[in-house]
Amino acid sequence: MTAQRTISGAGVAAGVGLLALLPLAGLPAFYDSFLYMIFYWISLATSWAILSGFAGYFSFGHAAFFGAGMYTTATLSTKFGVPFLVTLPAAAAVAAALAFGIGAVVFRLKRLRGELFALLTLAVSFVVATIILNTAIDGGAGVLTSSVSVPRLMPTPSGTIYLLGLIMCVGTLAITYAIAHSRLGLGLFAIHDDEDVAEVKGIPTFRYKLIAFAVSAAIAGAVGGVHAIYVGFLTVSETFGISVPLYVVLMSVLGGARHWLGPAVGAAIIAASLYAFTSGEQAMIGRGIVAFILVVAILILPEGIVPSLRRWWQRRQSRRAAPPAMADAPGIATVTAPREAGATVANLHPPTRVVLEVGDVHKAFGGLHALRGVTLDIREGEILGLVGPNGSGKTTLINVITGHFPLTSGSIRLDGMEIGNLAAHEIAARGVARTYQIPRPFTHLTVLDNVALAAAFGAADLGRAASLVEARRWLDFTGLRAKENVLPADLNLHERKFLELARALAARPRLLLLDEVLSGLNPAEIDRAIGMIREIRAQGTTIVFVEHLMRAVVELCDRIAVLNEGALFALGEAGAVMRDPRVVSIYLGKAHAA
Amino acid sequence: MTRITRPWRRRHVLAGMAGALSAGLASAGRAAPSGQPVRVGSTLSLTGPLAQTGIVHKIAGEIAVELINSRNGLLGRPVEWVLLDDQSKPEVTRSLYEKLITVDKVELITGPYATAPILSAMGVAQRYQKLFLQSSMGIPKHLTYEMAFPATPFGPEPNKSYPKVVLDAMAGTPTPPKSIAILTSKFPSAQFMAEGTRDVAKERGLNVALYLEYEFGTRDFGAIAARVKDANADFLWLGALGLDSNLLLEAMKKLDYTPKRHFHLYPAPGPLALSPDGDLALSSTFLEPAPPFTDRADVPQLAAMYKERATKANVPYAELDAQGAGMYSQWQLLEQAVNGAKSLDDKVLAQWLKKNGADTVFGKQRFDGAFNHGEPGQMVRQVQNKKWVVVWPTQFAPPGVKLIAP
Amino acid sequence: MPSMTLLGQSLVSGVLLGGLYGLVALGLSLSWGLLRLVNLAHFALAFLGAYLVYHLGTVWHVPPWWAVLLIAPLFFVFGVLQHAVFLYFRVTELTSLLATFGISVIIESALQWIWTADFRRFETHYASTSLKVGPIYVPVIELLACIAAAALAWVTWAWLRWTYVGKALRAAAEDPEIAVAFGINRRGLAFVLSGVCAAYAGVAGAFIALISTLAPSQIWTWLGVVFAVVIIGRLGNPLGALAAGVLIGAAESVAMATFSPAWAPVVSFSVLIVLLLWQPDWL
Repeated sequence: MTAQRTISGAGVAAGVGLLALLPLAGLPAFYDSFLYMIFYWISLATSWAILSGFAGYFSFGHAAFFGAGMYTTATLSTKFGVPFLVTLPAAAAVAAALAFGIGAVVFRLKRLRGELFALLTLAVSFVVATIILNTAIDGGAGVLTSSVSVPRLMPTPSGTIYLLGLIMCVGTLAITYAIAHSRLGLGLFAIHDDEDVAEVKGIPTFRYKLIAFAVSAAIAGAVGGVHAIYVGFLTVSETFGISVPLYVVLMSVLGGARHWLGPAVGAAIIAASLYAFTSGEQAMIGRGIVAFILVVAILILPEGIVPSLRRWWQRRQSRRAAPPAMADAPGIATVTAPREAGATVANLHPPTRVVLEVGDVHKAFGGLHALRGVTLDIREGEILGLVGPNGSGKTTLINVITGHFPLTSGSIRLDGMEIGNLAAHEIAARGVARTYQIPRPFTHLTVLDNVALAAAFGAADLGRAASLVEARRWLDFTGLRAKENVLPADLNLHERKFLELARALAARPRLLLLDEVLSGLNPAEIDRAIGMIREIRAQGTTIVFVEHLMRAVVELCDRIAVLNEGALFALGEAGAVMRDPRVVSIYLGKAHAA
Repeated sequence: MTRITRPWRRRHVLAGMAGALSAGLASAGRAAPSGQPVRVGSTLSLTGPLAQTGIVHKIAGEIAVELINSRNGLLGRPVEWVLLDDQSKPEVTRSLYEKLITVDKVELITGPYATAPILSAMGVAQRYQKLFLQSSMGIPKHLTYEMAFPATPFGPEPNKSYPKVVLDAMAGTPTPPKSIAILTSKFPSAQFMAEGTRDVAKERGLNVALYLEYEFGTRDFGAIAARVKDANADFLWLGALGLDSNLLLEAMKKLDYTPKRHFHLYPAPGPLALSPDGDLALSSTFLEPAPPFTDRADVPQLAAMYKERATKANVPYAELDAQGAGMYSQWQLLEQAVNGAKSLDDKVLAQWLKKNGADTVFGKQRFDGAFNHGEPGQMVRQVQNKKWVVVWPTQFAPPGVKLIAP
Repeated sequence: MPSMTLLGQSLVSGVLLGGLYGLVALGLSLSWGLLRLVNLAHFALAFLGAYLVYHLGTVWHVPPWWAVLLIAPLFFVFGVLQHAVFLYFRVTELTSLLATFGISVIIESALQWIWTADFRRFETHYASTSLKVGPIYVPVIELLACIAAAALAWVTWAWLRWTYVGKALRAAAEDPEIAVAFGINRRGLAFVLSGVCAAYAGVAGAFIALISTLAPSQIWTWLGVVFAVVIIGRLGNPLGALAAGVLIGAAESVAMATFSPAWAPVVSFSVLIVLLLWQPDWL
């Protein structure tokens, strides 16, 4: 594996080295220029995809960053005499700062997702363009950059531009590859699928989006800096026109925006096609033909070229390897809860220490008071049942504890530390995990990655390799190991429920909040789930168990808390609470009312 | 989808090219050019937002090539025009000129249309030390390459010389304007001229009642028209490109306002001439296909051929104007330099042009001033009876035609 | 300080221009919101409509309203066919961008082939007539465009709100699975809607032909502002598209009249950005 990687790494390095020497091969200069244009589009499209493809924050304002970089280089090199190569980091920095500023405001607002984000970025690019147009930066006269002296990195000027383009392109692809295979990338993919869940699973979504946006913009800015020299004359209408924001989207869609290599493939194809029909006699028909081919390509390969090819390749591989893979599937019944080496088993003596203190917690949504002063201690190692009629505030309480909703007032302490005001991912990092009543897996990640992500970002905080090992253990535990490479959409409901459980467990939580994990399961599956929950507790995890199924509640819980209309109604030892006539009456009363 | 059919002009164009190659137009008495063709490369914006000008230049260029081949070609060899489509994009223009020079290995190049593509192409020409001829660059100070020559007589400082021509024309009318409203697109060459006009107007003591810049590509002129009406100046100077003129005039008409006199810098000539609002509109030009210009060599033939081909190509305004003439002039410079210097060497040709100047459809041109520009030759034309006629300087007006100043 | 007449005049121009924005945005908003298809070809189709109106008007002297009656059904069929292709290939929101971009370029090439790249202007005697209300002029064609936009937006809104078909469409857009569970024939409805959107492009095209000057590459100049209108108006909301069009048009126009026209985009889009950040309930 390592040897293989070294060899392929050396291959890539040698390839890049050869490409860098291409201008010395004596090819006509046009090819330098032509390849530069391809590198240029690859860099731009790939940089766009870092935020918009990976995290799904669709930007229609990439021209703002590209243009900011272009005008930074143009201004510094023509008006202030700054050496060209020095202006490139400045171009990247200006673009990144612009993105950082926008992101720091916009990413705080949960509503600005999807098309509203696209609109906002579009508006920003209009505003940036207008400011540049009406100030001394351009003023409407355009900026002539053809006289800027460019260091001779290669014997010819076109060779130098080629080399700069190649460096940009390789750098962009390397950065994007690294991001796609890092925690950041995994986090961005999760944000793409379900940002709220990502945050609760421990991903610092705000910071990740901001980093991705700034990196994406920085690359676009640097590319713009080089391009300012390439075109020789800048105008606002050309720079901030429709072509950059539109083409980066189209290229990414064609190649596959969620794969690190996808936008590059799309960009290479579309950029090359611009040169397919340049002869004066065929220009118009040529454009039509290229467009027609694009339409056909995207109809046939709707996921984009790279993902489609990958899937085809995987299907081929799995067809070959199918029988052994089946034999490898572990028998479900034989698996027991994995235990950490050295993990203490703390459930046998009476639990006393308090893990979580909920103190007079209020939560209001506008005028609606979902929680009105709930005070509750959760003791280490116990299973606390949380019951109550529909709308009594159980799920809201879970949402508040995990940080999904901010508190209106009150306090929540984990091991004595106030967590009521922390972001959800910080609470997750302190060892709180939850499941969702209606499973919310990351739809574009495999079952294995869904679980590994929780291991990587939760309290466990594992590296990539360790998180995969951890994930497989919990997939074994929940009986999903055989399906580790499928997408959640291919799971049935009870498998998705178990996936929820596996995801929560892989985070190695100290406190596990289970939100109706049993609903929708058949009796045999319920028995299995109850067994699992017992085993989880057996390794020292404290559990809050929200459930309507009273049989399971009574069977599992040490204590029971009853919520009614947002307030704690009863709390105590399981048997005693369930026999409390008042508790029976609110359930019956609710039933009457309904 | 649509059932509209027409004679496909592609066929005509192909036929035209074939004609050029076979030198079918060679007139009797002159030796038809023979041997390996001299390949001359250029790009034009045949698709994209500048394409409406691309077709004008293409027709004029094809006529020029045919006429050169009907004479003696270049040094007795026929000319072959290698024309590529730059898609109205400067970055594509640059790479295509590199393609022309390094892959297609054309012997000579000639320039594209519009400021940004011209500057992109000029950079390439400079790196390969090629003679660079262009006809539509309105900001001469950007033409810093010593082998770049203008085929259209803008003069070295049109922002100073041309406003004087326009304001002289106005001053020569019975009721000279006292106030001026200047409106310009923020397009480099238009804004350049608008600023110059403002300065000259102030120097001459005109009241600049309004100076407004609007974004290139503005679609709606309602509010701008209201401001022009509000200012109600004696003379409206509009730094318009393409569509702007028609849209602004219509917007003003909707406000029941007709500017007393209105000048348009670079409008789309056809739509403005044919529009009911365009009557008596003034504009800039260098040549119109009428006397006295038709006394110059090649002009009648060029005008006739242009009209025929533009009509066939379904171009709505089929009259030759300064755009097409500029393209033709580009080829005239090339022809005269090559045949005069008896060389295809770019440096020799540049020296020859610098020394001798050239006789083009724009008259005698010299290149001895700043940025290789000579005397300015920009004039004022006016729409009269839905046709453009030169009205100023008066010696270039057709007999009996006068500037009409209401 | 601009005069009140100037202010009022620019407001009227802006509102009417906004109506045209709304008209162009309408079909795009419906197909994006209810079919989850971002139909870039809407612009190209509108310009195809505009060229057809121009051609019918100038060559065969067909009045524009008759031309619209001819074009709208034709485009309806085009919309249905396009949707059939998209459905067959399971085109998604993302891939629809590329597919419809391709269609746009094909249409653009066809326009240039047939009518050349040169500017075309459909001269009509009523193109520049105006009503006079006090000191303010109201251009008739723009007013008609605005009325057409309002009428179509309202009819579409009523259709979506009160008829079974409309409710089903909205339900299907919100949750396709549930809609299917309720036995809603989403496919059939989608065909109708796609056809309607294309027909609206034809109507918008007629007004573009009457108000504006035509060139094939003009297709792309409407993209930015109309996208903004569609999104501000909320996807799939016809009245929202109209209101947003008017908002943007008026903001742009008043900014042009009071500040420098070149700064106008900053004003209108800064307003937009502030609105987005402030998030009033109606947005």
